[in-house]
Amino acid sequence: MTRPDKNDGSRAAPNGRPARESRKKARPEPPSRFYGTPLPGVKLEELSGTLFVLEGTDGSGRSTQISLLTEWLESEGFAVQTMGLRRSFLVGEDIDALMAENSVTRTTLSLMYSTDFFDQLERRILPALRSGLIVLADRYIFTLIARSAVRGIGRDYLHGIYEMALRPDLTFWLNVRPEVAFDREFKKAQTISYWESGRDMSLSNDLFQSFIRYQSLIKREFEYLSKRHGFIELDGEGSVSEVNRVLRKRIASHLGIRSTHYQPSHALSHLWR
Amino acid sequence: MRLHLGEFHMAITFPNIPAAEETAPAKTAVIKRQYPGALVVVEGIDGSGKSTQLYLLKRWLEIGGYRIHFTEWNSSPLVKSATRRGKQRRLLTPITFSLLHAADFADRCERQILPLLHGGYLVLADRYIYTAFARDAARGCAPRWLRNLYSFAPVPDITFYFRAPLDVAVNRIVAGRPKLKYYEAGMDLGISLDRAESFRIFQERILSNYDQMIETDNFILMDGTVRVNKLQKLMRQIVGERIDLGQFAPKKK
Repeated sequence: MTRPDKNDGSRAAPNGRPARESRKKARPEPPSRFYGTPLPGVKLEELSGTLFVLEGTDGSGRSTQISLLTEWLESEGFAVQTMGLRRSFLVGEDIDALMAENSVTRTTLSLMYSTDFFDQLERRILPALRSGLIVLADRYIFTLIARSAVRGIGRDYLHGIYEMALRPDLTFWLNVRPEVAFDREFKKAQTISYWESGRDMSLSNDLFQSFIRYQSLIKREFEYLSKRHGFIELDGEGSVSEVNRVLRKRIASHLGIRSTHYQPSHALSHLWR
Repeated sequence: MRLHLGEFHMAITFPNIPAAEETAPAKTAVIKRQYPGALVVVEGIDGSGKSTQLYLLKRWLEIGGYRIHFTEWNSSPLVKSATRRGKQRRLLTPITFSLLHAADFADRCERQILPLLHGGYLVLADRYIYTAFARDAARGCAPRWLRNLYSFAPVPDITFYFRAPLDVAVNRIVAGRPKLKYYEAGMDLGISLDRAESFRIFQERILSNYDQMIETDNFILMDGTVRVNKLQKLMRQIVGERIDLGQFAPKKK
């Protein structure tokens, strides 16, 4: 498999310095499961599980797909662990509280999200991978990088922080146009939230305009990340069952299983459109 | 009046302005940024005498009516509950410990230190990013990763490094405290089951990390065993030589 982001670790040099030429000449090595410096104390040979990431903006259908994939994988006999943003025991609630105030600044929020991410990585994901589980991540470092980058925090800085993150086996990007995301999100909550519309960035006083501009900036960042990290881009505007079919096909082929047949149970049938 | 030039380890840009790495020539590692304020920092292990000396410096400037602000490490209410929860329940790994403290520092930096520097204050900081470099590296974080993590912080005008022999410093702390805290003593590293012993070894590692920064980060070495008033006299003299204090003096009407 090609790994377009092979040199990530070296690009995240301190002070934003470009990578040294000599690093590129280093003899070819099998791609590390980390982007750069590995997390202290992790033995790679112990990690027998698989990490699949679903990325995409609000309203791209990620959570729906995670529910369906979990059921499918479990029915195929695989144990599944999930992760998502703000779900760490350590700081998950604190981030909620910070976001409810308007006093938090961009670097603080960005670093609180990093804390949340690494707490989940070290306490939930790595133990699951050591036990041979399949981890389904509802968003990963890419959303965190994109959100901070559109707020003016340097990309190299962000990649430097997340160089200790584990490289996913596959990263799917459910790409939807901001207008479609708006319709879906509005239907869900009958309004659009402060952060979803990036109102801290003062892009527009009109909520719709603010949402569209913010999500367009995020989308542009994802286009860059997609090239750098080799995302599998999917049309998030397709029907739930069609997107799910493509996801199952790619995942099944990665896991080396043949069966991709799936019909959601009664409990999840309302998601199947 | 001399216009003071503040420095940043790296550029923090604003939305819609291309990021520095796209526009700046490849070799510009340090981006200069102007602010009229100045930043004086004290660093050193616990018990090195740095806080006493910074307090006396602050009193001297306060009494003189200078525009100053004093700030210390780990004082932001925003991330306090997370830090407390993590420490009480011993949930922190070297990485999350480091990130949480960086978030805390970022809050102080963006909401206090930077506005004050832009507003023309002389900012006095009891501990700064070098504390994180020395302490978190002693916990096993990669120095390169730490340097990047804190690269949003302005570079101090003066960094006083108070150095006392390990025994002197450790005795000062142990004598004044009934019980050393878990993380403070580096118990999370599993060096020793005895807290006093663990604390000593942890401080020794931190001390050696500090020593390595004397040259790379232009520390001014201060001998923590010198008599308090004598050391303070030297500190005031150095501040007077390196910073245009007139800039922060009370305005005459």
